[in-house]
Amino acid sequence: QVEGGETYLIKDITVTGNTNFSAQTIIAYSKLRRDEEIQVGGEKIANAVKTLWKSNLFSSIDIYIINIDGNTADLEINLSDLPELKDLTIEGIKKGKKDELISENKLKPGVKVTENLIATTKNYLTNKYRKKGFLNTKVKVTTSQVIDSVEKERVNMLVDINKGEKVKIKSINFEGNDKMTDKKLRKAMKNTKQKSLSPLRILKRSKYIEDDFRTDLVSLVDYYKENGYRDARVISDSISYIDEKTISLDIKVEEGEKYTFGKITFVGNTVYSDRQLALLLGIKEGDTYNGVELRERISDETNPDAQDITNAYQNNGYMFSTINPVEVSAEGNVIDMEIRISEGKPAYFNNVTVVGNDVTNDHVVYREIRTRPGQLYRKSDIIRTIRELGQLGFFDAQQITPNIKNPNPVDGTLDVEYSVVEQGSSQIQLQGGYGGGGFIGTLGLSFNNFSIKDIFKKDAYKPVPRGDGQSLALRLQASQYFQTYSFSFSEPWLGGKKPYQMSTSLSHSKQFLYDSSSGGADKDRSFNITGLTFGLSTRLSKPDDYFVLSQALSFQHYNLNNYTTSLFTFGDGYSNNLSYTVGLSRSDLRVDPIFPTGGSSFSVSAKFSFPYSLVNGVDYKALIDERDGLDASDSSDYERIAEIDQERFKWLEFYKVKFKAEWYQSLTKKFVLRPSMEFGFLGAYNNSRGVIPFERFFVGGDGLANYSLDGREVVQLRGYPNQSLSDTDGGSIYNKFSLELRYPITLGSSAKIYALSFLEAGSSVNEFKDFDPFKLQRSAGFGLRIFMPAFGLLGIDFGHAFDESPYGTQVKNWETHFIIGQQF
Amino acid sequence: CSDFQKTLKSDDTAAKFEMAEELYDAQKWAKSYRLLDQILQKYRGKPQAEKITFMHAMCSYHLGDYYIASYHLDKFTDVYPQSEKLEQASFLSAKGYYFNSPVYSKEQKETLEAIEKLQLFINAYPNSQYLGEANTLVKELDFKLEKKAFEIAKQYDLIKDYKASIKSFNNFLLEFPGTSLRSEAFFYRLDAAYNLAILSVDYLKEDRLKEAISYYNALKKSYPNSTNLDSANLMNERLQEELKTFTTNKVKTL
Repeated sequence: QVEGGETYLIKDITVTGNTNFSAQTIIAYSKLRRDEEIQVGGEKIANAVKTLWKSNLFSSIDIYIINIDGNTADLEINLSDLPELKDLTIEGIKKGKKDELISENKLKPGVKVTENLIATTKNYLTNKYRKKGFLNTKVKVTTSQVIDSVEKERVNMLVDINKGEKVKIKSINFEGNDKMTDKKLRKAMKNTKQKSLSPLRILKRSKYIEDDFRTDLVSLVDYYKENGYRDARVISDSISYIDEKTISLDIKVEEGEKYTFGKITFVGNTVYSDRQLALLLGIKEGDTYNGVELRERISDETNPDAQDITNAYQNNGYMFSTINPVEVSAEGNVIDMEIRISEGKPAYFNNVTVVGNDVTNDHVVYREIRTRPGQLYRKSDIIRTIRELGQLGFFDAQQITPNIKNPNPVDGTLDVEYSVVEQGSSQIQLQGGYGGGGFIGTLGLSFNNFSIKDIFKKDAYKPVPRGDGQSLALRLQASQYFQTYSFSFSEPWLGGKKPYQMSTSLSHSKQFLYDSSSGGADKDRSFNITGLTFGLSTRLSKPDDYFVLSQALSFQHYNLNNYTTSLFTFGDGYSNNLSYTVGLSRSDLRVDPIFPTGGSSFSVSAKFSFPYSLVNGVDYKALIDERDGLDASDSSDYERIAEIDQERFKWLEFYKVKFKAEWYQSLTKKFVLRPSMEFGFLGAYNNSRGVIPFERFFVGGDGLANYSLDGREVVQLRGYPNQSLSDTDGGSIYNKFSLELRYPITLGSSAKIYALSFLEAGSSVNEFKDFDPFKLQRSAGFGLRIFMPAFGLLGIDFGHAFDESPYGTQVKNWETHFIIGQQF
Repeated sequence: CSDFQKTLKSDDTAAKFEMAEELYDAQKWAKSYRLLDQILQKYRGKPQAEKITFMHAMCSYHLGDYYIASYHLDKFTDVYPQSEKLEQASFLSAKGYYFNSPVYSKEQKETLEAIEKLQLFINAYPNSQYLGEANTLVKELDFKLEKKAFEIAKQYDLIKDYKASIKSFNNFLLEFPGTSLRSEAFFYRLDAAYNLAILSVDYLKEDRLKEAISYYNALKKSYPNSTNLDSANLMNERLQEELKTFTTNKVKTL
């Protein structure tokens, strides 16, 4: 027996007790050393016990002083290991849930069974099921020792879970609410709902979840505050059981007085007048006091484009401005406010830099930046720069951040550094699939952010020369019926001075006629098209800078080789199409290009050829008269018809006008409505020469242009079979209206998924006299779109047609459409 | 199977070391690297480790893998501060950073790192045999930064944002007072100011003309032999003329 406080020199340390660890390890771990002085009841011993205990490996630890001899003594560490888990039995839940429980709580065999482990397991389970509405969950954890051949202490564990009945909220009762009805208050509680008879509310069930209930009590008070009851509070809340399965919640509130805004005065404003600021604030004397609204009108954190007072200053150079609302007096229930404004100096950008562009060259990035050195600071310019840099597609749009540096309120200057992260923008596409009546193989290479000037530099191939913002694409596609080859290149800033986008493309395609006798392609009968297009487009600055004017010159040579169809009477002929297109478009779709939630886009374009018939002196009237007199079933007449048609279509003479518009409108927080309309007209300058058999409109179906050969335009109208709403050779006039309601399911960066429903109506005719914009074929339906960066856009639509096809194609009740990589 | 493959697969550490040295001397960096990579850990703490670590790092250097090389050379200088190879290793590590520096028109993080590393080397070994080369490299890297800022300022002139161009050239001249692009910067600043003044709205025209003329005078005074002086003279004539008509018009309207 020793008193506390004596000091001994330790001679030896021994380890006893029921432990599997070596004595050396335990001594080293305890940090006790031989030939060291220790004090009985001192810090060293206490620390040793603490460290050993913390290891969570022992169920008991004792340290004894033994063999005291004068001022030397020995130490004995006596400990016993915690039992290890042998078998685990879980009762009361399903197999799949058991695995989850085991991994979440690390209940693997061999784990040390501490009191803590038992307690956390118990708490974990109770909380987990409470969160799901099983308020009466009871969890019992029992352990029992096992004796087996291994000389180790081990236990079996039994976890018995009794979830009990799911508890539903029968009613939520309020007390003390004179000013607000029970119904309104229940509505303010977003996540805790009482049992309802209405079948509409299926998503939110009347479960009781403690955490949700607590947040809802806060929203309840917020609801009062938004309505002027600044002093409102919840005095008490309680749960009472009606029976095993149902509870009722009783909430007692104290409403307090209703407050209103008194005089609102602005102090310190020189740039904006009181009147302008009052207009922006939108709150008048006598309005119900609403702190949340006041804060939002001054600075709305959730919306960077908001029309609030802070933005009015921030978008006009006053970076250093601060705005503070202060309550100056609260007499009775009327609160007088003073909005104190400190404007500061207007700020100008000094240095504007970009970091992180380790692929893209400076000139590609800097020309897109709207904040330039020496320019007045505008927050909106920074926001627009971020959006536009994101739209380039070279950088990860989520990771573009503007860092304001060296803000200097004295000089009125600041630096801004845009930090970007490059993202891969090249694609290799190698695919095979069925479509157009057979197997189609596609090899596509597209390089965005290409650098053509580096193509002869060996070092630049990592793996292709990149960084100048150009795009280059090569595409080969083949099936047994057709082959197409195409090459395209575009430079967004031709000459580097202005955003004149230059694009050029070269394509060649060969199509074989279907041979009904062999069931395959007839290689002797083909239709070749070779095309070359050169286009220029430029962003306009007026009426605003979302407008783009584009022009293109294109040439196509059609060569028919024994390719006779009802459309082509001249089976061995050729045709040339030299045309000029001019288009004007405007698009300010916001924010996500896959799922826009605002903005609109429209385009109008005209494509036309030279009016040859005015100058070439051919009498087309005589030709058409002669043709009308001939009989196509007579072989000699037929030859003459072919000759005449060859003459008519040697150089295609036509004009084509198209108009398209769409809008995106957020309806609630999530639903987006997309109305759209489009119209197209293909005409001839010389009616005797007639409307050409190319460049026509094909309405109906999924809208996918499988292999667009002859300048045809495939127009989507779901619910009907593909191209069923046009003549077999295509129509020359069409119009279409569509209304789509979209709902996002997830908009994460790895996959964006949304559901949609639509109403569509459209038609196409061959002659203007048949055109009636209100005689339309209608349809309705619903569908789903999935966008994944690796696969592009995939979708499925189910459409129901309400009308018959005017061209005799059989229309089913429901049509299924698969959408691949198109229109967004 | 070649000797190399046999040795590579064997467990004979000594033989590997011997062969790695031979290959290293024969400048077969890739093969030597593979052997050294295998035995590096085994010799840890032993006297041969210093040599192996150095050779290992040098192999990646010669193979052009400068990120790895600099990393290993830095580690070498940390672990063997007494080594006779210390100076060489420090220099080549810094030079590795130099090789990682990209073309001026991309992000210059590596350039800044390289300058810092080389400067540290220059400070640590003021009498080094590599001093001359180190200074040349620093100069080259500094020029990259100058060129970057200069080209950005010049681009603003090209895309007709003259105000941004003038501001950027002024910032450039402040930041790099000793730059070799100074005379050109003077000229392009004049070019931007000239265009801004000529195309200016009336109420700012006089100030802008005067500003442009002051830039012309600065160019002429500092670089009387500039190759751009001919075009600058033409600009000046036009500026003076505009200023004259502008002031006479102003007098008339008064």
